[in-house]
Amino acid sequence: MRKSTLRNVIAAAGILAVAGATLTGCSSSGTTPSANSNKTVHLTFTNWDGGMQTVVDTWNKANPKIQVKLIKPSGTGYTLYNKLITNNKAGTNPDVTEVEYQALPALISNKVVVSLDKYLPNLSTDFSKSALAQVQFQGKTYGVPQNICPMVFFYRKDIFAKDGITTAPTTWAEYAADAAIIHAKNPKQQIGNFTAADPGWFAGLAQQAGANWWTTSGNTWNVAINDAASVKVADYWQGLITKGLVSPEPNWSAQWSTDMNKGNLVGWVGAQWGPNQLPSIAKDTAGKWVAAQLPAWTAGDNTVGIWGGETEAVTSNSKYPAQAAKFVNWMNGSTEGIDSLIKNVQVFPASTPGQALPSLQTPPPFMSNQADYNTLMATAAKGVRTFQIWGPDANVTFDSYSNAFGSALQNKTPLSGALTAMQNATVGDMKKIGFTVSTNAN
Amino acid sequence: MAIAVQSGRRRTKRGSSLPIFLVAPAVILLLLFTIAPAIYAIDLSFLHLKISGGLLGIGAPKEVWAGFANYIATLTDPEFWSSLGRMLIVAVIGVPATIFFATLFALCLDVKRARLVGFTRLAIFLPYAVPGVVASLLWGFMYLPATSPIGGQIINYFGTTGVFFSVTNVAVWGVVGFNMVILYTAVRSLPPDLFEAAELDGASELQIALRIKLPLIAPAITMVALFSVIGALQLFNEPTTLKPLTNAITSTWVPLMRVYAQANVNNDIYGGAATSFILIIMTVGLAVIVNLIGRRIVGRESK
Repeated sequence: MRKSTLRNVIAAAGILAVAGATLTGCSSSGTTPSANSNKTVHLTFTNWDGGMQTVVDTWNKANPKIQVKLIKPSGTGYTLYNKLITNNKAGTNPDVTEVEYQALPALISNKVVVSLDKYLPNLSTDFSKSALAQVQFQGKTYGVPQNICPMVFFYRKDIFAKDGITTAPTTWAEYAADAAIIHAKNPKQQIGNFTAADPGWFAGLAQQAGANWWTTSGNTWNVAINDAASVKVADYWQGLITKGLVSPEPNWSAQWSTDMNKGNLVGWVGAQWGPNQLPSIAKDTAGKWVAAQLPAWTAGDNTVGIWGGETEAVTSNSKYPAQAAKFVNWMNGSTEGIDSLIKNVQVFPASTPGQALPSLQTPPPFMSNQADYNTLMATAAKGVRTFQIWGPDANVTFDSYSNAFGSALQNKTPLSGALTAMQNATVGDMKKIGFTVSTNAN
Repeated sequence: MAIAVQSGRRRTKRGSSLPIFLVAPAVILLLLFTIAPAIYAIDLSFLHLKISGGLLGIGAPKEVWAGFANYIATLTDPEFWSSLGRMLIVAVIGVPATIFFATLFALCLDVKRARLVGFTRLAIFLPYAVPGVVASLLWGFMYLPATSPIGGQIINYFGTTGVFFSVTNVAVWGVVGFNMVILYTAVRSLPPDLFEAAELDGASELQIALRIKLPLIAPAITMVALFSVIGALQLFNEPTTLKPLTNAITSTWVPLMRVYAQANVNNDIYGGAATSFILIIMTVGLAVIVNLIGRRIVGRESK
């Protein structure tokens, strides 16, 4: 409830003008393309991962002719992607950008990123089919996959043991049984939380259950977000939440951090990158968590979904796509690049030879007690199942997830109804933009 | 004053090039950064993006004429009206609360026996100097059970009803001081002989405050009300900052958040522009209504 005066507006406009000038100054990637190989090429690279500067420094030291400047984006996720789409017309995008797998189709349909086939013809040999499926569309490759983030189950081994549970739950039925035991022994404690803040989290769980939110046949999209598998997942969590065994609080809030740190939440359905985040969430609990294979729907099934994961893509604004592709391929496809990523950004590489690198034998610092942490990731990565393709407007789907699931949890209405809301929002938007959509369930 | 009068005289003598020159930067900036973007936004609101053929589109998506489709989409979206409703609830709680507390503090500070006026005035004004985002975070931590020093363990500050009071509280806390200063200035500028006369007639401090000061500062109160109503329409910072803390606040909780989500999350700047334009029309309309009501009240009082 603040009155903005004309003076404020003008001041803000002035600041914007200055900022705009500075931004343009930063992001122009050189003046004229040059065939002269002696000239140093300057590339800009947008990425928000902690530790990335060290990786870039490693490249710059080894490649004096192609110098990369790392830019931290002002917003992460879709804030960045929408900015890239808007700036694409103005031609001010960086040469290389981080893109999470689910956002790549949107950037392709808006012609923000370019195909790399011309520059990297031999990409496919180093990557598994499921990794390449994240970056290949209609026979063209749009990025080099960086990492693969299978979902895993983190739990407080000390508290589980105290409650008489000696092994991690291997099935969702066991997870529910353990949840009941933990909550009964100490009503303050819960086995985990259902987060409305993380659409990728639910998508990963749905992938494990066999959902296929987007499929294609020819040029037609089939959208099935409220398919039977997704409803099964929603109903399962609904049961746990209703019984009070699982907290409905969203991830990343101060409440959640406190509950994780104090041991009120004794488990977390997370993903490979968890140990990178946990130190800032639950710093007092380092060494007490153990990661285990995600519980399965049927015993012995090792299928898991992914939560997160990114590729580096070259933008159509780049004046040096060949050099940019070279950098991307070094970072995500070469031994030195992947090694640096493992050590500094704690990634689990998508590249098959990268998964055998010796640097993976050291667990992330937060999991120092679990020496075979990355062996577990390698095993989990083998069981990864994703959607056939991410939709071209997954941003709408994701926003709708947070709103619909958040409201359902708040108002205690069925979670499966939220899936219908997501389905309608997604299909409506796709039709509006002009995609051919059919909504028949498979 | 004397200087102003002098320069005024000089102006009439020398012709009018100097004032134009002096005003020009402001006008140019206004044209460049307010009027031009506004025209562009109106233009955008009649367009939408269309991809052509293929699974992911052949060629770049094109901006095509959408007519009133974006406007119709907003006006027929139940979520738009829900967000407007939520904003109104906040306004219905927040605007009277702001006016009440600002008036109360202003009148209290002006009481003859009041001590430490300077300090108190500053203390009440201080929250206004706290950026909205910081204030929201600060209050957010006070609301969350895990970190609450004000009974968040017992009271659910993010309950389905509670959330409205929680959001309003942050907003009101932030602006009461600013509005109090406006009203206090108005009270101080009243002629003191009025109060002396009233005192001689045997009026108590309370009677002076309610029967003399309050009616006389009615125009200032109207202005404060207008600011508060416009402020309520611009509600964005507080719920946006509180959103990650709770399931109770969605990305379309109030109309401006809906605009933001449309433009920056759903990548539909065209729909966002249409919604913005609808909101501007509503804001101007409401401002006119508040102003008219205010004038009528003031008019009645002065009769």
